[in-house]
Amino acid sequence: MTEQNVVTNKGMVRAEFNFWVGKYMDKFYDNLENKKIVGNKCPKCSDVFVPPRQVCGKCNETIPLEQNWVDLTDTGTLKNYTITKWKITERGSRKVKDSIIGMVQIDGSNTAIIYKLLDVDPADVKTGMKVKIEWNDKTKGEPGDIKGFVKA
Amino acid sequence: MDKVGIVGYYYMKMSPDLIYGRYNLIFETVRGALDSVNLKKKDITTVISATNDYYDGRTISNAYCVEPAGAYLADESKAEMDGAFAAQYGLMRILSGNHKLAVVWGGSTPSCYPYDSAQLYQTDPTFERPIALVNNITAGGFQMRAYMEKYGVSAEDIAKVAVKNRKNAAKNPLANPEAQNANITVDDVLKSDILSDPVTELMYAAPCDGLAAILLAPEKQALKITDEPVWIKGVGSNQDPYYLGDRDLSECKSMEMAAKMAFDGAGITAKDVDFAEIFEQYAHEELILAEAIGLAEKGKANELNSEINGDIPINPSGGAIAGHAPFATGLMRIIEAVKQLQGKADGYQVKDPKVAIATGQIGFCAQNNILYVLEKGGN
Repeated sequence: MTEQNVVTNKGMVRAEFNFWVGKYMDKFYDNLENKKIVGNKCPKCSDVFVPPRQVCGKCNETIPLEQNWVDLTDTGTLKNYTITKWKITERGSRKVKDSIIGMVQIDGSNTAIIYKLLDVDPADVKTGMKVKIEWNDKTKGEPGDIKGFVKA
Repeated sequence: MDKVGIVGYYYMKMSPDLIYGRYNLIFETVRGALDSVNLKKKDITTVISATNDYYDGRTISNAYCVEPAGAYLADESKAEMDGAFAAQYGLMRILSGNHKLAVVWGGSTPSCYPYDSAQLYQTDPTFERPIALVNNITAGGFQMRAYMEKYGVSAEDIAKVAVKNRKNAAKNPLANPEAQNANITVDDVLKSDILSDPVTELMYAAPCDGLAAILLAPEKQALKITDEPVWIKGVGSNQDPYYLGDRDLSECKSMEMAAKMAFDGAGITAKDVDFAEIFEQYAHEELILAEAIGLAEKGKANELNSEINGDIPINPSGGAIAGHAPFATGLMRIIEAVKQLQGKADGYQVKDPKVAIATGQIGFCAQNNILYVLEKGGN
């Protein structure tokens, strides 16, 4: 038994979200706009989070909003990477060029953030290599202010 | 824990596109489970579904499933997670003492929507989502590299898992036809299209259409329904942190803790397990999870003989690589374990098993894990 007919609905309803980022991320993005990275530190285990958190999951400890901020550099270590041709937002089509996606631990932090690696040949990528942020010329206080990471 | 039995089950042959209405699929799956032990709608006292509003393309998706799932004017609830978590919910409803028969069903039809793209919606909308670099494909790439670099496991060793599971799938009549391949080689796996380096297409449990249902009953009722129940001896679940960058992806801490909880509950250890049905999103994840469960030392799962006739068979059915029907996959692991314990896995039967484990998971790189210890009942 098969069905011959299908019904599609394409954007019949516009249901886009506008998310408030919260007070901690607000501070992170304010700094990003000035091309600065900040993290915050758990008062108990001293782990430094980038992006910042209200709570350390491991310790279940509140990190006070006005305390424990840590100014960090825009350099870090490549902890992990993957290379893909596929578009994340649209599996059906292919990108012409490989994207190298890196997991970078900003120096002085205990977590890693995920951005593209730029101007690197896939054959030259190695975990453990030092990288630094390539900022967008015009920053807006949003995740895309970081264009990606380049070899340090 | 009081004894709760798995007394019936059903899933139909998976396919990349079943070309079938979802309403009909749900009805046939739930009715199939009831028919497997000659029960009727009137025997159901609670229904638990495992569906996802996004995958179903409708909000409060279980509202639509009332009639086909046998939930008309019945106690009904939903777990928006892999079906193996819905089974835990069903188990709890039975253990409450208020229910005699729980239907647990789950599944989805990714032929109707872009599954991999939809995974982007798991990421944090206030940070990672706007950059759009993380979905299940790239997450798998990170996880495989982390595992290989930590333990020096080769891509060949990982490809062997894909070969085993695809060969096992060829023996499993209900597997996704695209996953079945009796003649596949390690070279085929390594040379297939790269999804997200180092993960190749044939290492990936590709999403396909499928639904599954199981029936749970308390001991007394279970023995009235069937003379070959399978008992749930232990269950454990646990979860890892949300951000991938917070985790050590070379291991799976949450599965370690879920397995410990389940084994302690059952009063056994990993050594007592006769075979395992593990929900692996990628070939390398079967190794990581097997190590977390305690079937092998860290970094050594590739040295296990996990073939159907091996020392510790893993995924004799072919596992999720044989067919990953989102939200049904964990239930299928349970069903395949039950089939083996009942001696009904024609063509891929493990020799005389008594104790099995079956796992489910959800989230990037097995963020949430659940493990069941199952024991053969009856004669």
